Amino acid sequence: MKQLTTCLIFLIAFSTSAFSQAKKPTLMVLPSDVWCNQNGYMSEFDNQGTKLKFPNYKMAFQSSSDLLLVIGKINSLMAERGFPLKNAESVLKSLEGESAEDAMLQSKSGNDVSETAIDKLKKTAKADIIIQLTWTINTVGPKKSVTFNLQGLDSYTDKQIAGEQGTGTPSFSAELPVLLEEAVLSHLDNFNTQLQAHFDDMFANGREITVRIKNFGDDWGGDLEKEYDGKELGTIIEDWMRDNTVAHRFSTTDATENMMLFEQVRIPLYDANGNAMDARGFLKPLQKYLAAPPYSIPCKLMTKGLGQSSLVLGGK
Amino acid sequence: MKTMGLKINLLLILLTGIYSSAFSQAQKKADNDTENWRYEVECVGTGNEGTYLIKVWSYSKKPLVAIEQAKKNAIHGIIFQGFQGGKNGCNGQKPLTSNPSLEQEKMDFFKDFFADGGKYMKFVNVTNDGSISPEDRLKVGKEYKIGVVVSVNKDALRKDLEAAGVIKGLSSGF
Repeated sequence: MKQLTTCLIFLIAFSTSAFSQAKKPTLMVLPSDVWCNQNGYMSEFDNQGTKLKFPNYKMAFQSSSDLLLVIGKINSLMAERGFPLKNAESVLKSLEGESAEDAMLQSKSGNDVSETAIDKLKKTAKADIIIQLTWTINTVGPKKSVTFNLQGLDSYTDKQIAGEQGTGTPSFSAELPVLLEEAVLSHLDNFNTQLQAHFDDMFANGREITVRIKNFGDDWGGDLEKEYDGKELGTIIEDWMRDNTVAHRFSTTDATENMMLFEQVRIPLYDANGNAMDARGFLKPLQKYLAAPPYSIPCKLMTKGLGQSSLVLGGK
Repeated sequence: MKTMGLKINLLLILLTGIYSSAFSQAQKKADNDTENWRYEVECVGTGNEGTYLIKVWSYSKKPLVAIEQAKKNAIHGIIFQGFQGGKNGCNGQKPLTSNPSLEQEKMDFFKDFFADGGKYMKFVNVTNDGSISPEDRLKVGKEYKIGVVVSVNKDALRKDLEAAGVIKGLSSGF
C-alpha cells in the first residue's frame, strides 16, 4: 500500500512537471533583404517578364565572414541566456542534405518518398521568430562607425515583437569586426528585454496565432454561407472561436463564402489535459467538431510552426 | 604622568567614537539616498563581454562614503532603473527587471543583498583603483557629488538573481 502511494505521488509529480512547460518558440538570425541587397547577395529570376530579386542566404554565409561573426556572437550570447538559437547556415545545409536523401530514398518495392507540391514549398529554413539583422558602415573622414539594427519578427503574425537600433561610437582605429562585436554587445540586452516582455505577454494572455479557413468546395458541395438551423457555417466557426480563445480574443480579418482569416487569435498555452498547445492543437477540436453531425464536413488540417494553422473544408 | 596618559587615551577613544558615529550616520544617509533613487548612472563605454562600464554619481558630505556607496548605487541602478546612453553613441540599457514593485515584493532578499558588505559587492569593481578625476568631484551645497566609474558584471548578477528566483530567465516557463 505504501509502495503504491509512493508510486502515485511520483507519477503525479512527474506528470505535473511534464505538463508545466509551454512549447518553446524557435529563433533564428537572418540577414535582412536590405543587407543582402547592399552587399550583393541577391538572386534574380524572371517571373513572366517581371524581374524579381530574393536574398541568397547560402551565398551570403559562404562569402561574408563579418556576417558569420555577428550571427555567431548573437548565437553564443543567446545560448548563455539559456535560449540557444537555430543556426541558419546549418539549417540550410540540413535542408539540402535532406532533399538529396529524399531524392535517393526508395522502398524495397521501388516506391519513392511521397511528396506533394506543397511539401516541397514548405521545405525552407524557418523559425517561429526571425531575428532580422542589418548593419551599415558609416564613414566620416577617417572615422568609422556602425549603425546596427536588430528586429525580432513573429513568423505567423508578421508583428515586430522586439527591436533595437543604434549607431556605435565612431572610431579612428577600430577594425570592422571589433565595431560589430561592440554593437552586438551593446544592443542584445535591450533586445532580450523586449523579447522577455513578449514572452510575459504570451504567458499572461495566451499565444497569438493566425488561423485560416479554406474550402475544397467541389468535394462536399458547400461553402461558408451554407446554413445549419438558420446559421451560416462561417458564423458557427466564429462562435467556436469565441468559445475557445483566451478571453474571446480574435479578429475576423477576412470572410467570404470560400475563406476566412482570423488574426490576433489568443490561444491557451495548455489544453484541458494540461498538454502544451500550439496552433495545430488548437484547431484539431474544430476539425472534430465540423466532422461530427449535423455538419459532417471532413477537413484537412495544415500547420506552419507553432503559430499558424489552416483548416480546409470538404476533404483530406 | 600616569593620569595624563589615561586622559589622552580616553580622549582618543572619544574622538574615534565621534568619528565613527559621524561616518556611520553618513553611511546611513547614503543608504537612504540609494533607496530613494538619489543617484545618477550614465554609460561610459561598452565594457568587456558580460559587463557594463558606467559612471555613478553619488551624494554625501563625506567623499569616502560617496565613493563606497557608488558600488551599491551601480548595482541598484542596473537592477531597477537602467541607464541612459552617454556621449559618443554609448548605448543606454534597460533595467534587469521590468516589474516596478519588485523591490517591495522581495524586500527581505534585497535587505540582505544590499547590506554593508552584502552580496552586491561580488558583482561590481571600481576602475582606476577608485581614483576620482577632479571634474568628477563636485561640491553641491554642503555635500559632495562624486562620479565613480565602475564595471558591473551584469551577466553574473542576472544569473544570480535568476537562480534566486528574483527575476525571470528568458527561457523560464518553456
